Amino acid sequence: MIEQVIFYILAFFIVGFSLLAVTERRIIRASVYLLFVLLGTAGLYLILEYHFLAAAQVAVYAGGIMVLFVFSILLTDHPGAEVKYEKPKRMIISAFAALAGIAICGHIIYYNVSRAYQYIAQGEIDMKDLGMTLMGTGKYQYMLPFEAISLLLLACIIGGILIARKK
Amino acid sequence: MSSVGKYFTGIFKGIGSLLLGMSVTLKELFTKKVTQQYPENRATLVISDRFRGELVMPHDENNEHACTACGICEMNCPNGTITVKSKMIETPEGKRKKVLDEYFYDLGQCTFCNLCVISCPSHAILFSNHFENAVFTRSKLLERLNHEGSKLREKAPVKKPAPAVVPSDGGEKVKTEGEAKPQPKAEVNVPVKENKEEKEEKEQ
Amino acid sequence: MLLEISHPLELFKLTAWLDSMLRSLMPDWGALLIEFVLIGLVLLLAYAVIALALIYIERKITAFFQCRLGPNRVGKYGIIQSVADMVKILLKEIIPIDHVDKILFYLAPFFVIVSSMLTFGALPFGNGLHVVDFNIGLFYLIAVSSLSIIGVLLAGWSSNNKYSMIGAMRSGAQFISYELSAGLSLMTIAVLSGSLQLSTIVESQTYVYHWNLFRGHIPALIAFVIYLIAGHAETNRGPFDLPEAESELTAGYHTEYSGLQFGFFYLAEYLNMFIIAGIATTVFLGGWNPVQIEGWNGFNEVMNWIPSYVWFFAKTGVLIFLSLWVRWTFPRLRIDQLLNLEWKYLLPINLVNLVVMAVLVVFGLYIK
Repeated sequence: MIEQVIFYILAFFIVGFSLLAVTERRIIRASVYLLFVLLGTAGLYLILEYHFLAAAQVAVYAGGIMVLFVFSILLTDHPGAEVKYEKPKRMIISAFAALAGIAICGHIIYYNVSRAYQYIAQGEIDMKDLGMTLMGTGKYQYMLPFEAISLLLLACIIGGILIARKK
Repeated sequence: MSSVGKYFTGIFKGIGSLLLGMSVTLKELFTKKVTQQYPENRATLVISDRFRGELVMPHDENNEHACTACGICEMNCPNGTITVKSKMIETPEGKRKKVLDEYFYDLGQCTFCNLCVISCPSHAILFSNHFENAVFTRSKLLERLNHEGSKLREKAPVKKPAPAVVPSDGGEKVKTEGEAKPQPKAEVNVPVKENKEEKEEKEQ
Repeated sequence: MLLEISHPLELFKLTAWLDSMLRSLMPDWGALLIEFVLIGLVLLLAYAVIALALIYIERKITAFFQCRLGPNRVGKYGIIQSVADMVKILLKEIIPIDHVDKILFYLAPFFVIVSSMLTFGALPFGNGLHVVDFNIGLFYLIAVSSLSIIGVLLAGWSSNNKYSMIGAMRSGAQFISYELSAGLSLMTIAVLSGSLQLSTIVESQTYVYHWNLFRGHIPALIAFVIYLIAGHAETNRGPFDLPEAESELTAGYHTEYSGLQFGFFYLAEYLNMFIIAGIATTVFLGGWNPVQIEGWNGFNEVMNWIPSYVWFFAKTGVLIFLSLWVRWTFPRLRIDQLLNLEWKYLLPINLVNLVVMAVLVVFGLYIK
């Protein structure tokens, strides 16, 4: 019962701030609303008792990426200037694109929720299992994707150094 | 040295110097505290003699001061703090003489620049180190420095004790000055002259 | 294992008794609700009281380092000086500033204080005085404390003041950099203790030589020092206070704030100092465990009489003193020196240290 109430509160929170983030005309405010959306999502993970994902969401998205967002927005020309609305034609097109996205996601979620549900372990997942799964090489373990991502990060770092060293 | 070597020696030297700094501050932590707890320590409070608290005119026990009412201090004061009022009296020998009537000093306007004391030819005024000058109305800051019924000290008085309020070395100055007048006169006239020259320059 | 000992002054019996009493009086959800509210109240109260105490202690110790006496007028030895300051700050007017981004301006202090409060709530203060014991404890602490920087950035930007802005940018650069070091040095200990859960970390450090600082000897010591430096830098204090360098930036990102909003920043700054010291205590110095030496039963018995929360606060106090000592010893760093220290020294050392610790753990070279 209480979980449902909290879920609805969080859901409204997320939806409301998503709408605000999209419609807000000042980019820095929009980024703050986006931050609230991310925090709300972390709250959803907490309801699922998936603490690791919640903390990762907060650390990576809210604490890391959003800080970089805000930081880079501050470095732009007029972070507080109001952005003009797009032409109505473009607005309609993007509205359709968004609706199509919702439809596809909704379809996938609706038809796969019951199937996904059996994978979800009941109760809190131990951090040790998570670590083993991430770094394991067996079936349903994620060593390869993990390393692939680290390769991507390495490429980013090298690219950054190259740009920085360019004379 | 290679850059790698420099890097590591740099780290250790840095740590060493940081620890040295911390040992210095740790010693400071245990040294005696120097804070003066002012209103409570009035009895033991030491204020330097050179501190300029307020202008005073030292009087000796015969209620005599050294001011000849020449007005040099008044002229030298940059912001009109001093007003010297003089009067003419008839001496017993029948001479007419200018003596000090009232010496006004406005503490509220004083910038404690010490020009009056420097320029005084007869060392009649001094800055005392009495600093508790706060009052409730401005009018109380207007002080009369010469005491009631005081008169000019004779040129060769019999006794020259140090004035009560005055710090010791200031008092001695007054004494020596009374006996050998021409010397300090020449000495103290200089700033006055300079001042006048400056004024003239400014006017030009 | 430890001998069976009596803990006469511990609070866990009290909390257990309170819980059972509440549950006998009302349904479970009612008891839970009351307990939640109580815990929240106690945490908020502790937050405020610790901040006040810290402000007083900081001012006193600062004064002693500078051969002064410090506050000594309000109450005996100035002991209620910070209470007077608090009343003043509560009563002060919140001055509205022209041309600020209103929403962000009023929102920013809450980010800072909420983040520090979330971290504060998860600290294990004593045996049975641990509000939430997440499985991911350490990770949670790192994650939540990273939120405060958004408040600082927003405060700096929305104040419509170039000094605030520069201060916020410096603070942002500083925080992002030093967060890495702080996180990595905590990870080093996570490798050693094999757990992120704070209760497990604390309980594994029973005897003195089991404290992570000693158990992991050299790498743990390096991690400890780096964590203290990085944590110190994260709190914008001491030699790393260039986001609010008075001579250049008036007060940095909180220049335009007044009254309670400024109070929030101020409170969060002091509490962050406590939180950093508290995390270091928990992770490196055995948390609320008393000093226990194997074999010295009488000594251990005596130490056990001192309740665990006193131990926690004592250890934290030592670290806070260390932080103040550093603060009043070293001159302020320049921004390039600050970034050099992190990216050229602390981070590489930390990465190597992490690998060394992993090797140590794999080959079992730590003290068992």
